[in-house]
Order: sequence, then structure tokens, then C-alpha cells
Amino acid sequence: MSFTWTSAHRAELDALKERYPSPKALVLPALWKVQEQEGFLSLEGIEAVAELTGYSKAEVYGVATFYTMFHLQPQGTYTLQVCKTLSCALNGQGTILDHLKERLGIEVGETTPDGQFTLTQVECLGSCGTAPVMQVNDTLHEHLTPESVDTLLDTLSDKGGSL
Amino acid sequence: MSTQSVTITVDGTPIEVNPDRMLLPELLDKGFSIPHFCYQESLGSDGNCRMCMVEIAGKKRPQISCDTPIVAGMEVRTRGESIEKVRRDILELELINHPVDCPICDQAGECSLQDYYMEYGLYQGKVDKKEKHHFDKHIDLGANVLHDQERCVLCQRCVRFCRDVTHTDELCVAGRGDHSYITTIPGETLHNAYAMNVTDLCPVGALTSKDFRFQQRVWFLATSPSVCHGCAKGCAIDIDHAKSKYHDDTIYRFRPRKNPEINGEFICDAGRLSYKETQTYLLRTCLAKEEILADAEALDRMKAILTEDEYPIVVLADANLYTEELAALQAFARTFHAQLYAPLEAYHDPAFGDDWLKSSQRAANAEGVKRLGIATEMPTLNDNTLVINVNHPDGHRTANRIDLLTHRPDENTERVPARLTLPIAPWVRSSGHLINEDGIEQYCEQVLRRNDPTPTLLERLAHFLDKGDDTILDNMETAL
Repeated sequence: MSFTWTSAHRAELDALKERYPSPKALVLPALWKVQEQEGFLSLEGIEAVAELTGYSKAEVYGVATFYTMFHLQPQGTYTLQVCKTLSCALNGQGTILDHLKERLGIEVGETTPDGQFTLTQVECLGSCGTAPVMQVNDTLHEHLTPESVDTLLDTLSDKGGSL
Repeated sequence: MSTQSVTITVDGTPIEVNPDRMLLPELLDKGFSIPHFCYQESLGSDGNCRMCMVEIAGKKRPQISCDTPIVAGMEVRTRGESIEKVRRDILELELINHPVDCPICDQAGECSLQDYYMEYGLYQGKVDKKEKHHFDKHIDLGANVLHDQERCVLCQRCVRFCRDVTHTDELCVAGRGDHSYITTIPGETLHNAYAMNVTDLCPVGALTSKDFRFQQRVWFLATSPSVCHGCAKGCAIDIDHAKSKYHDDTIYRFRPRKNPEINGEFICDAGRLSYKETQTYLLRTCLAKEEILADAEALDRMKAILTEDEYPIVVLADANLYTEELAALQAFARTFHAQLYAPLEAYHDPAFGDDWLKSSQRAANAEGVKRLGIATEMPTLNDNTLVINVNHPDGHRTANRIDLLTHRPDENTERVPARLTLPIAPWVRSSGHLINEDGIEQYCEQVLRRNDPTPTLLERLAHFLDKGDDTILDNMETAL
């Protein structure tokens, strides 16, 4: 399997390149593009970033593992990011997480066998007033209860693979 | 030194230093002891380990000396209660998740972490062993290098070696904060010809050599300075050997010895592992054709052949011999009116050479051969010539010959048995000079003193040479 930039991404990166004295500055935007394109960072994608930026593959791999929001494994269609910081923890994050684990039959960090859901725990999502919260891909869901989580998951499952 | 030296005060003593360098290297050169992990002479400083803190008058906080430029008149303190507390605290951080498995660690005895703990640490640990976080152990990074992530202090010397010295970039620091670890990219391995140098660079037991693993405790090893015989580059090495109970004196490893003119602080993996050849498959008995002979009997027969036979004599010398041995062979050749050759063609190995420390000329003393004026082409030989083959790789082509060999002939190569075969000791059991391909002359100490009585080449030749013969010394003088 090899990695090729989409022409749109390639153009965006070329435009960005103009802004910086060194192409090395593109390492983070380029990794984002790879993740957008593939859903995760494959080693081929990392190699493409290394080629673009002039870093070695190992250095790009180091950067990719440094940031928790880069994924090195394929993720489910929906990434469920349950907030684990104080306000959510006090407001029943544990119950929500246990409910999710039981319903999906997976542990934190795992993906359901059908490839629909990946369960993760994240630090504060900046919505303490509406705790407990969970971010599904780019959408925040607030005031969670086991029931509302069930409804949400049902809706997402119905949508199938499409967002 | 182009710039003028300046005076600074260290621990109350004024000293002259070079202001072009950073503080740490200059202080280390002047004999001060300052603990450090990430700074390494060949790799420079990285400023990541924070171990080399010193106090500088006028600065609020202790500074890392590896990255502090020297300023004339600065007052530095490397000793004292407050700076030693800082060091103790940093050590304590380094050791939080360290497994403290020194009793089974190969690095114990030459480990910076261990030394610094004994010198500056000695605190009562606050972390229970059960609370320690565990990382992966004995990960095979390839190229005979094993990685123990728990022992790692993340000084990144190995990463910088692969990035800045070999330019192969196999290693990186993955993860973040206290989850960081050294790794190769998944599915890839260390693949450069110098990879085992990272085991020397590693200040702790995180990177160890698979070859040396669990073989010997380092405090039992005696070290002899020598020179690698792997190729004409002549990298300076230290040979670590030990004579332990029920075992004869045995070499356990070769390590690079610093020689800025040749190899800096590194050697190639092939050279590092070539110690095995010096003590395996050695020839120990004299042979006539394939029949075993006593040593004295073999010498008598050799004398008889040399003096009684009418054949013209040709001596084929190994170009790995010490200059002294080659000079003695010249005297030997003169005594018996023989032609001396050291054909170099057999040592040419373009696949081995590279543009750094590996030369495609595999003979360690090829330059010595040339300086002594010994012919380097292969003479035309047939069975009307008596060949004295002194360990030359191509010396076994004709049947009418006497072999002086260090190793048992390879059974897989087709080989006519020699009329007479006498063993000689390998290079680690004698001493002498080598001249490398750049003309640099180095001395090799005798390393091993084994129980095995195999004589050296010089001891063999002494039976045939006139004791008053000064020509050997004359030859040596011409060469050196």
C-alpha cells in the first residue's frame, strides 16, 4: 500500500510551504492531512510527510507519537471521546464510560469489530458546565445520561458508515 | 588555538580556559568531575538530561554546564551542599521507574547512573518497587543491539549517533513526557554497519550488545590497548579479556579506543565482532601431510627441508603480520636465499569498504609491507619451488610447501596438504607495530597469555636465524 496526496491536499501544502523558511515547518499540517485522508497515520503516510518536509521517517514518527490526537491505528467511523477530567468525573463520567464499554463490548482504546466505534478517554473538552460530555468526531454531546447515550448511539448506528 | 584563553574561577581555584567551548567539555578536560548523560564528546551536548548542573555566581538558578558559554571571570561552583542537592533530585527523577536490576545488568560496573548514584545520590528511595511503571524489556533493535526501555534515561545519544554520525536515522524518541521511549519505526531495525557503537555510547544499561550479554562481569575484565586487524584502516581498540576459573585467558569483546587521527571513538560492527576469529578454529598441532608430529620433530624436518632440498624457496607472508615479524621474515629469506612476497591482491574486498572506517584493503599492515620494500605481486609458482606459506590466504595452491598457520585450514576449501604444517600464535598473542593505510603507525600490546604453548612467528623464526644478525633491526629502521 502506498500513499498519495489528494490534489487538494497537495495544493494546500504547497501554498503553506511558501509561508515558512523551511519545509520542516509543515510537519504538523502535513500529518493532519494524512490523517484526514486515511483516518489514521499509516507508515506510508509518515514516509510521505518525511519526504515532503525533509525530516527522517523516524523523526516524523516521533512527532506523530508525541501528540495524542494523531492515531497510528485505523479508527472506527465514530471516535467516542469521553471526557475524564474533574467536572465530568464528578458528574458521572464513570457511569457513562461503563455503559459505553458494556454496550459496545470494548475497552478504552479499542474499536468495535464492525469498525463503527472507537472508544477513547480524553482530557478536558472545555465544557464543564454541561458535564458529563463526550465528543463524537467533531461534535460535542452534553449532559449525558446512559439513556441519552443509547439514543445517540442508535442514531449513529442507523446512519451506518456515513456521517 | 586561535583565541586567547580566559581565566575563570572554579570551586575557588582560578583556571585558564578556552572561551570558544562550552563550560562542561572544558571543565571535564581540566579534570573536574561533573555528572552528565546527554553530553558526549563526539556527539556534543543536547541539553536534555539536566544532569550537568553547576552554580554560577550571579545566576539565580543552577545552569546546565554543557550549554553554558564560557565568559571571562565567571565563578563556577561544582561542589557544595546546594548543587549536590540539585543533582540528587535529578537522579531521583531518573530513577523513579528504573528497575534497579544492577545485579543482572551487563552495564553494572561501567554505568554512569550507578556511579552517579554512589557519588551524589545515596538517598532513601520514595517509590516502592511495586509502584514502578514498567516498560518493555529486551527489545531486539537489530544489529546485535538489545534495548531495555526501563533502564533508559532518554539522553538520546543513540538517536543522535544514528542521525548525526551514520546519517541512517533508524532511532527516534516516541511518545511524550514520562511515556517516552527509544524505538525504531515499527517493522524496521537498526541497519547500519556501525550500529553496535550505540552500546558503548549508552551511559546506562538500556542498550546492550547481544554478543556480550550475560557473558562476563565487567570488573573481571582486563583491558589491553591494541589495533583492529579487520582492515587497513587500523582502528584503535581496547581488548577486554579475562582469565576466569577453569577457563583459559579469553577475549570477551573489542571496544573502540579513542584515536582522533583514525577512528575517533568508534569502530565498525565487523571489526568489533572479529575478536571471535582470534580464538576459534586455531591450529594447535604440527602436521606432516595429515599425520600429527611433535613440535621438535617438525622443526627438525623443516630445517632439513630448508637446507637439504635443492628447490628455489619462495616465502609468502600474510600482510596482517606485525612490521617486526615481516622484518624477521626478510632476514629469514636472506639467510635461505629465498624470495619474499606478500601478495596483496587476496586482501582486496570492495564489498567491505565504505567511505568511513571500513577499508576495502583488508590487510592490516599492507602499508608496512610496502615500506619494507616487500614485493606485493603473486609470483608464478609450481612444484619445483618450495613455498614457505606464512598464513597467506592464497598460499596453499602448490603441494611443495611448508605452512605456518594460525588457524586450521577451512575444510570446505579445496587444499593440497602441505609437506609440513606448523602452528603459530594469532596476533592477539604477540605484540608489534602496524602501519595503517594513512601511514599512521600504532603499537599492539600482547593481549592473551594462554596456557596453550603455540609459539609466535618470531619464536619459530628464531630457530633459523643467526642471533647476531642485525639486519632485522636495520629493516625495522627503514620501515618506521
